[in-house]
Amino acid sequence: MKLFRSPVHAPAVSARIGLWLGIAFGLCFLTGLASHAAQHPPGWFVWPTRPVSLYRVTQGVHVLSGIAAIPLLLAKLWAVYPRLFERPTRLLADALERLSILVLVCAAFFELASGLFNVAQSYPWRFFFVETHYAAGWVAAGALVVHIAVKLPRIRAGWGERADAERRAFLRTTWLATGAAVLATAGVTVPVLRRISVLAWRSPGGPQGLPVNRTAAAAGVQVPEGWRLTVAWPGGSAAFTLAELAALDQRTARLPIACVEGWSATAEWTGVPVRDLLVAAGARTDRPVRVSSLERAGLYATSLLPPAHVADPLTLLALRVNGQTLSPDHGYPCRVIAPSRPGVLQTKWVTRLEVQP
Amino acid sequence: MRTARTLLAATGAGLAGYGAWLLWPRLPTAWTWLVAGPLLHDLVVAPLVLLTGLAARRLVRHPTYRTWLVRALTVSAILLLIAVPLVWRPRPAPPNPGLQDRDYATGLAIWLAALWLGALLGALAARRRDRRRRP
Repeated sequence: MKLFRSPVHAPAVSARIGLWLGIAFGLCFLTGLASHAAQHPPGWFVWPTRPVSLYRVTQGVHVLSGIAAIPLLLAKLWAVYPRLFERPTRLLADALERLSILVLVCAAFFELASGLFNVAQSYPWRFFFVETHYAAGWVAAGALVVHIAVKLPRIRAGWGERADAERRAFLRTTWLATGAAVLATAGVTVPVLRRISVLAWRSPGGPQGLPVNRTAAAAGVQVPEGWRLTVAWPGGSAAFTLAELAALDQRTARLPIACVEGWSATAEWTGVPVRDLLVAAGARTDRPVRVSSLERAGLYATSLLPPAHVADPLTLLALRVNGQTLSPDHGYPCRVIAPSRPGVLQTKWVTRLEVQP
Repeated sequence: MRTARTLLAATGAGLAGYGAWLLWPRLPTAWTWLVAGPLLHDLVVAPLVLLTGLAARRLVRHPTYRTWLVRALTVSAILLLIAVPLVWRPRPAPPNPGLQDRDYATGLAIWLAALWLGALLGALAARRRDRRRRP
């Protein structure tokens, strides 16, 4: 087509950008599956408790590979845009190919756009983000694999082709835009970039030096007069006042709180290891534990601590953070903080621990 | 090769099929967001890029300067695009301490100023290299 005279519309360019876009989408998909499994573990799956930063790293990779994919996808589409207007030669084969690409582009844009709005905690849609983002992730990954299979000869031809000066300039612009996008946002999870990343959706601020994802006011939490922590197990239960919890042996641990939205922050937490608390109450320590919050309505009012996390001495029922009593927004009177867990499962305003049969 | 490609395509179709099965019940609420991407890109974004490219070709004759102009425009556009959900937040979650409390406009302005200065320096350096190569 006469309109597109630039030499960047060539397999030499689309193959090179495609490789990095494929890597970005691959990382995004795999870390997304990992996060989904950590939050909704199937029966056979155990999310490890070490290293303590594991979830922080996988989810950081998830959001940053998604950010990197935005300029890469746009550059890739620009390289192949003229092909949209080519006259089809083999009717059925071309129609099938175009359909598969349409599915891929729909799912790819959907994942990037919905992810970007979700990290900003804005939901300008009526669907449920978690399930829809997860489902479209499978569609994008599958359609990408089909696309690679269909295009393999063209990809090889593209790598065989030399990138002339104008193509190299376009590729450099693409890498520069990708680097800028990542650098402008990576501060959400990479501490040294906090000040540089001006488009980070989280600042390091917040009460007690730690961001908050759900305030006590938003959760509608009021700590009742005479609050007690109940520890229940099949055949018995025990109750602890806050003073009794504070009188038990305390442990201090430096643990990150890492959100599904990719931001993370490390703090010094002090409290009773959940395992020690169960022992003090006389309950078993090798079963999953259901943690219930004073919050009634939210999606994450309860969480299930898997046995590996229950047994881990770093899994705390924290009473203090960074040397101060937990503020209401951080979960006063007590909250769960466990190594390597999604932030939404670090239940706040805990009122009941229930050892599962 | 042919077998490998067929196997790969079948695997991909399987994965996408599983996704489509999960996605099916959510289509009534999600379809607008699903089709919006390609429509916005093919009908708005790509034509705008094309027009910008044609205008740059007209207005800046020198290829080195044009490369750096297009480069600075591209990076600026990407940064502005990523900033959209930070400054335009329809149906937001309740306010949270530490969320969206940066001064995005000032931060972005500083970045863009540095970017355009860098592009100017880059263009001048590239021009000098060109001259030395072809005196």
